[in-house]
Amino acid sequence: MTAAARVVDAVKVYGGGDAEVRALDGVTAEFPAGRFTAIMGPSGSGKSTLMHCAAGLDTLSSGSAFIGGTELGALGDRQLTLLRRERIGFVFQAFNLLPTLTVAENITLPQDLAGTRADDDWVDALIDVVGLRDRLLHRPSELSGGQQQRVAVARALAGRPEVVFADEPTGNLDSRSGAEVLELLGRAVHGMGRTVVMVTHDPVAAAHADEVVFLADGRLVDRMADPTAEKVLDRLKAFDGAAGAKEVVS
Amino acid sequence: MRAVGTSLRLSRSSLRAHKRRFAGTFLAVFLGVSFLAGTMVMGDTLRASFDTLFTNAYSGTDVVVRSADVITVSGQGQGTREPVSTELLGKLEAVPGVAAVAPDVQGAGQLIGSDGKPVGGQGPPTLAGNWIADAGLNPYALAEGHVPAAHGQAVINRGAAKKGGLHIGDTTTLRTPDPVRVTVVGIATFGGEDGMGQTTFTGLTRADAERYLTPKAGEASTILVRAGPGVSQRQLADRVGQVLPKGIEAITGQQATNENLDMVSGRFLTLFTTLLTVFAGIALLVATFSIHNTFAIVVAQRTRENALLRALGASRRQVLGQTLAEAVAVALVASVAGLLGGIGIAAGLQALFPAVGFPFPAGSLVLGATALAVPLAVGLVVCVGSALLPAVRAGRTAPLAALRETAVDHSGASRSRAVLGGAALAAGVALTVAGAGGGRNVWLAASGAVLTVAAFVVLGPVASSYAVRALGSPLVRLRGVTGALARRNALRSPKRTAATATALMIGVTVVSLFTVFGASLKATMDQTVSRSFAGDVAISAPVRGAGGTGLSPKLAPAVAKLPEVRTAVGLGGGVATVDGGGRQLTVTDPAALSRVLDLGTVDGSLAALGGDGIVVSRTEADKHGWHPGSSIPLAFADGDRRTFTVRAVYGESGLAGSYVITRAAWAPHRVQDSDTLVAVSFRAGVGTDRGKAAVEQVARSYGNPDVQTRSEYAASSAAGVDMFLTLIYALLALAVVIALLGIANTLTLAVHERTRELGLLRAVGQTRAQLRAMVRWESVLVAAFGTVGGLGLGGFLGWALVRASDSAGTGAFAVPLVQLAVVLLVGLVAGVLAGWRPARRAAGLDVLRAIAAE
Ligand SMILES: Nc1ncnc2c1ncn2[C@@H]1O[C@H](COP(=O)(O)OP(=O)(O)OP(=O)(O)O)[C@@H](O)[C@H]1O
Ligand SMILES: [Mg+2]
Repeated sequence: MTAAARVVDAVKVYGGGDAEVRALDGVTAEFPAGRFTAIMGPSGSGKSTLMHCAAGLDTLSSGSAFIGGTELGALGDRQLTLLRRERIGFVFQAFNLLPTLTVAENITLPQDLAGTRADDDWVDALIDVVGLRDRLLHRPSELSGGQQQRVAVARALAGRPEVVFADEPTGNLDSRSGAEVLELLGRAVHGMGRTVVMVTHDPVAAAHADEVVFLADGRLVDRMADPTAEKVLDRLKAFDGAAGAKEVVS
Repeated sequence: MRAVGTSLRLSRSSLRAHKRRFAGTFLAVFLGVSFLAGTMVMGDTLRASFDTLFTNAYSGTDVVVRSADVITVSGQGQGTREPVSTELLGKLEAVPGVAAVAPDVQGAGQLIGSDGKPVGGQGPPTLAGNWIADAGLNPYALAEGHVPAAHGQAVINRGAAKKGGLHIGDTTTLRTPDPVRVTVVGIATFGGEDGMGQTTFTGLTRADAERYLTPKAGEASTILVRAGPGVSQRQLADRVGQVLPKGIEAITGQQATNENLDMVSGRFLTLFTTLLTVFAGIALLVATFSIHNTFAIVVAQRTRENALLRALGASRRQVLGQTLAEAVAVALVASVAGLLGGIGIAAGLQALFPAVGFPFPAGSLVLGATALAVPLAVGLVVCVGSALLPAVRAGRTAPLAALRETAVDHSGASRSRAVLGGAALAAGVALTVAGAGGGRNVWLAASGAVLTVAAFVVLGPVASSYAVRALGSPLVRLRGVTGALARRNALRSPKRTAATATALMIGVTVVSLFTVFGASLKATMDQTVSRSFAGDVAISAPVRGAGGTGLSPKLAPAVAKLPEVRTAVGLGGGVATVDGGGRQLTVTDPAALSRVLDLGTVDGSLAALGGDGIVVSRTEADKHGWHPGSSIPLAFADGDRRTFTVRAVYGESGLAGSYVITRAAWAPHRVQDSDTLVAVSFRAGVGTDRGKAAVEQVARSYGNPDVQTRSEYAASSAAGVDMFLTLIYALLALAVVIALLGIANTLTLAVHERTRELGLLRAVGQTRAQLRAMVRWESVLVAAFGTVGGLGLGGFLGWALVRASDSAGTGAFAVPLVQLAVVLLVGLVAGVLAGWRPARRAAGLDVLRAIAAE
């Protein structure tokens, strides 16, 4: 199986001298195509950093990151931007949508920015999947938090990207809305053949993934295939014991 | 006390944290105050300089003897006074306490420089007179050479010598306006300087002065008297007054100084400083909008912060106090800086004016208390006043606002605003049209104009949504999603967009108002010339009041003798009192006049007017109920009263003026004679080039005045308008710059506010170039809104001004499309420039940091 995205010996250092933080300390990880991967770990373990570097939002201090066969380190700002809008989808924890644009416009924003036409049939199908057909002309401020995240998922998928990165997409949602979003991401992978990488704190959320990778102190410490909520929770508890008194579950 | 302390502490930390946000406010206040302070310091300095000048001019003169009667024509400064007889000299010398007496024979005399061009003549007077032997009475002192002792010898002031490249021993021409050959025998200084400001002076022997500068020998403009030791000016004036015949008066030197000073400050200085103050006012008005907007945005952005403070127990007063304290701090710093800047401007201008030949006397900078206090106070009031409303709004922040999501602000486009603004607009336009149109009531038109401007300001937020949508639609088609995003952003807060654009709108309104007014003025002048000038070439020269000497009255007869010329008529001027008011008379040959000027329909006969016939324009005739055969009593400056009979009434007064009499009728009252215009028509078959060359040949021996074809003549009469417009544009540039700073500032604040959005856009694939373009286009849209609004409003008000100021109803109204298109283009380009820095700052944002921004 080919990797949709991967990092090799990824190191990310913030600051210098006494204030130096090694957010990533030699991480090598693959996110296989057509799979749903969850990244877990205690707060401050480097999950967001890993995701940002893998997605070309941030650059590594050393090591390399790839999207498909493209090495990100070799790209300039403009090429990275084009790569993001053509080959990557994003879902953030909050503030995913532009308040001035309607739901429909938000969904096709990356394609509009690229000046290409979105694939109408595909976008149409997506709108049905996320269940927002009657909300297309609304503004984000008129939607609930869960609805907003579903629009964000639709946007992330609209350009059929090689990989969708989601950083705690359900972090601000109640469990029901969260479940809807997670189910959407699952359908994108298993029904539509997309690749999703998701950072989460929630064992229930992680259970939707095909595989979970665990980070601690900027290192990849474990992987778990076919996770369930219980298995993940157990694994995290084991960590807790090892890593001391770190808050894990939100 | 503690509460105030808390407010101050909070505002201090806020100012420190958001220095950039207040940079725009600082600049707006700084520029406005600089302009105002510069104007006031400059005005004081000029006044002081003129004071020194005239004090020097009369420093040794204790009493001035002159005719008591003066005729003043509105628009002319000094008025016309009859000369006094020099027979009085002996009588005056006999008065006890008189040390010296000298006649002052003064007139216009313009030197021709070594390059053949006239020296001076663009404003400041070019004077000639007799060289007064008494060093006390003569304000000029001989610096080199000797005094004029024989016919044809002249002393000239050093400034004129330098400007004209003239040296002792040179022989040149003096236009009086008859050309006189003079040899420079001496160079003089005035109060130690090169001259009396930029005024030129040529001193002749008394005989020469009487011959060339007055119509009759034995007359002087005034007689100057110096007092002996122990006699005061007042005492001497009283004593001299006793021996004077009726109609002659004696005033003290101090009075003469004051009169001259009043004349200069009344006519020129007051106009100059008022004009500048008005434009400083416009700049400050524009600044008010910018400053208000900045504070409104800052307060809006701080809603959460203020709400938190309120939730934690801060009182309304404390929150309000914090914002006001910020405003006061910015206002103080900016006003003081502006004051210093203004003093710098005044000093710079003072150094610059002489270099560019501007007619200002030198002198040291005068810093009066008013000139320092007023700009400072105005700066404070404008800044704090503009911040007042936003501060009150900050104080009203509900503690709950801390918890609410701040949605997009759509306030401002309310129904009541639309209704109120619409009603005000309708009323304003109706008043303006009524005042400018039928009634020609300037005050009505002016109040209508003010109401219209106010209505535009009120309607701004309502109009901005429609206008931005309309103006932005080509943008969306052209620039796709970038354009669409820019348009949405500009539509976000109608109030904010309107306030930002209003500042620019006011600037553009005034610019286009003057553009339209100037173009109409030019069109009117052009029409006047093309309608009333029926000749082929015109010879014109500035007259005495305008710094020149006019044309020699001998020029027209000389030109008329040319074989190429059919008719050459000279038009001179005179003054008389008609119906209780001073009137300008045109002195010419009325019979020949109709061959070179189109007088419109003439009712009566222009021939054989003789010494008691007069012809008047239709407008004046209608006003006074005159018709051919009516009698008009005229009173002249020499006290002579004479009744004239109206022989004809003519329709077209553009070039001929309102009252025309013959040279024969004017001859007994004439002073120094000159023509202002010689109109020439050629014989049939004579081409313009050939005829013009022949006329130029003759003109050369009469001081070489300009010979112009019809179109050149029309263009030169309109040239003054262009100069005036250039000055206005330069003065308005400041207001426009302040408005653009306002746009830039609003955008910077908006970029700051939208950090997270910008980060998101970048994350999902907006390139830096796209982001920059988006911010810039938003700026262009706001600028376009302001510019288009200003063009419309300015065009309308321009029309109103043209109509309201045109009492005769004969003026033209012109819309200079090219110039207005340039204004529009400049507005748009300015929008691009204003968006430049905010766009760069926005594009420079780090994507991750932006997403994570609070
Ligand atoms: N811009 C930055 N400057 C300095 N240090 C940073 C920066 N961003 C992250 N860090 C540090 O890097 C480490 C990893 O941060 P990261 O945001 O990747 O953690 P995380 O696993 O996503 O945590 P959380 O679960 O709380 O989101 C942390 O110690 C953090 O303090
Ligand atoms: Mg994180």
